[in-house]
Amino acid sequence: MASYVLGEFADDAAICAAARSLREAGVAALDAHSPVPIHGIDEALALPRSPVPLIALVGVLLGGSGGYLMMWWMNAVDYVIDVGGRPAHAAPAFVPITFETTVLTAAVFIVGGLFALAGFPRLHHPVFEVEAFRTASVDGLWLSAEVEPGRAEAVAGELRRLGARQVSRVDEEEEP
Amino acid sequence: MSPPEAVARVERLDPLEPVPVLVGHPGDRELNDQLFGPVWAPTRRGWLVLFGLSATFAAVLIVAVTYTVATGIGVWGNNIPVGWAFDIINFVWWIGIGHAGTLISAILLLFQQRWRTSINRFAEAMTLFAVMQALIFPALHTGRPWFDFWLFPYPSTLGLWPNFKSPLMWDVFAVNTYFLVSLLFWYVGLLPDLAALRDTSKSLVARKAYGIFALGWRGSARLWRHYRIAYLLLAGLSTPLVLSVHTIVSFDFAVSLLPGWHATIFPPYFVAGAIFSGFAMVLTLVIPARKVLGFENVITPRHLENMAKVLLATGLMVSYGYLAEHFNAWYSGDRFESFLFFQTRQRGPYAPVYWLMMFCNVVVPQIFWWKRARQSIWTLWIASILVNVGMWTERFNIIVTSLHRDFLPSSWAMYYPTWVDWSIFAGTVGMFGTLFLLFLRFVPSVSASEVKELRRELEHEAHASAGH
Repeated sequence: MASYVLGEFADDAAICAAARSLREAGVAALDAHSPVPIHGIDEALALPRSPVPLIALVGVLLGGSGGYLMMWWMNAVDYVIDVGGRPAHAAPAFVPITFETTVLTAAVFIVGGLFALAGFPRLHHPVFEVEAFRTASVDGLWLSAEVEPGRAEAVAGELRRLGARQVSRVDEEEEP
Repeated sequence: MSPPEAVARVERLDPLEPVPVLVGHPGDRELNDQLFGPVWAPTRRGWLVLFGLSATFAAVLIVAVTYTVATGIGVWGNNIPVGWAFDIINFVWWIGIGHAGTLISAILLLFQQRWRTSINRFAEAMTLFAVMQALIFPALHTGRPWFDFWLFPYPSTLGLWPNFKSPLMWDVFAVNTYFLVSLLFWYVGLLPDLAALRDTSKSLVARKAYGIFALGWRGSARLWRHYRIAYLLLAGLSTPLVLSVHTIVSFDFAVSLLPGWHATIFPPYFVAGAIFSGFAMVLTLVIPARKVLGFENVITPRHLENMAKVLLATGLMVSYGYLAEHFNAWYSGDRFESFLFFQTRQRGPYAPVYWLMMFCNVVVPQIFWWKRARQSIWTLWIASILVNVGMWTERFNIIVTSLHRDFLPSSWAMYYPTWVDWSIFAGTVGMFGTLFLLFLRFVPSVSASEVKELRRELEHEAHASAGH
């Protein structure tokens, strides 16, 4: 069981300053929510490098080699189609499909990786309990902190001190 | 900002200043209200009329396809020697139209062309729906569409595999990859707006429906970091993909030995033609839509003018393709090539199609050398329709005209489309329209999250230049 403390801020500078200050005060599970990316929030939250490019690279390598090997095995090993004595393993003729399987696998890996990193689909999340949080996808800038219930009031007070326009608290329900 | 106000702002623009890509300084909520307006507004009578019309044609498609499948493709006008006719013409035409969507969303993103922002959602939807129509044709043209799964490499009891050295197999992979990657790209770009739709919805049904598609998007900074990289990488993948698709479609022709098909200019010439026809279709659709939806402040005259410039540039590339084909026919000294290009096409029974193609694709885009033509909505709209017609006649010319007079005069024959051919073609136009109208009704046709970001960038720049 955990508590979520949410605070809404007026602009990018304010939310970044608040994020930095809370992080330095030892609140680890911080996140910001906004309709468009907030300028400077990555540094303020000290976010690690995204693994998405690596996931894409794995997709490219698997898709490219998998596509080529598939064609080679099917057309040159398992079922050789002899058309006028042309070579069964014809590298130039395998280029177009190798390219297509590379792109397709990479795209599926990128999107699948993105969803896995986001934990999608996760249709419900405790922060959605706050009605005012609905502005996070429209024009609101929100900072959320996941803390143990005992610490929630202190963090809420800290958010108010850092200039949050409104602060809310959600307590996760105990699993029945 | 209400739509009439937005229009008034566009009309008040200083004619001496360059037209901006975003008129005024709408706030985030204003943008949401305006761009989501068509989704939340009650259904309009005009939309219903258009939808009814499109759906009728879509029903014609279903009837004609059912008839074709039940009877066999003998109900088409195809014959020997014209074995590829309406089905391949329409396939290439629809696939080509799709290309502008990917070009706008991916290539212009990589080149940081800001004017893409308000039209990319629109163009990507057009891509998806156009590729869906395209896929109908080769699927039927196999003759036994219930065996179409044989095209995919799966371990079958027959114990054989597809021949991957055939350009027709390349086509299967290229077009299916193109459709799936475009779908992923479009959906990922849609997520922030789906979340905003969920959060601004008034009814529980809408909230749940959009909520399911939004997958639980919370606009998290942790996710935005991955999201931006993923979106950029998808754009980077789509860029060579879109060039590869029409290249591979052109290989269907270029790899054969038929005069009029066997030319090395084909891949670049097909890609240019695809972008040409795609931009024409974007203009055909966006001009009425921006007016009806009241989006003139986000899809400004600047966007239309830039698209006119793209039409002019790609039109010139297509013209160069024609020139290169004719030059090769003459320079090769091949009798069959020169007979095709200088006799059959220009003076044969299908000559009107050739001259219509030359008029629509070579002559018409030249008016865009004039700024006045680029700024006139009506000129743009009519020219865009003529280009669509021109690109259809180009495929007719390549396919039917080349096939109906090949090497032996004894095997020459004419091709005439039957009512089934026409019904399937008109039906795909109806199906495309139906899908597009549903898109305009249920999905914001301009990306609110991207326009918000654009506004921040523009403000940041204005601020920076004012500071010096």
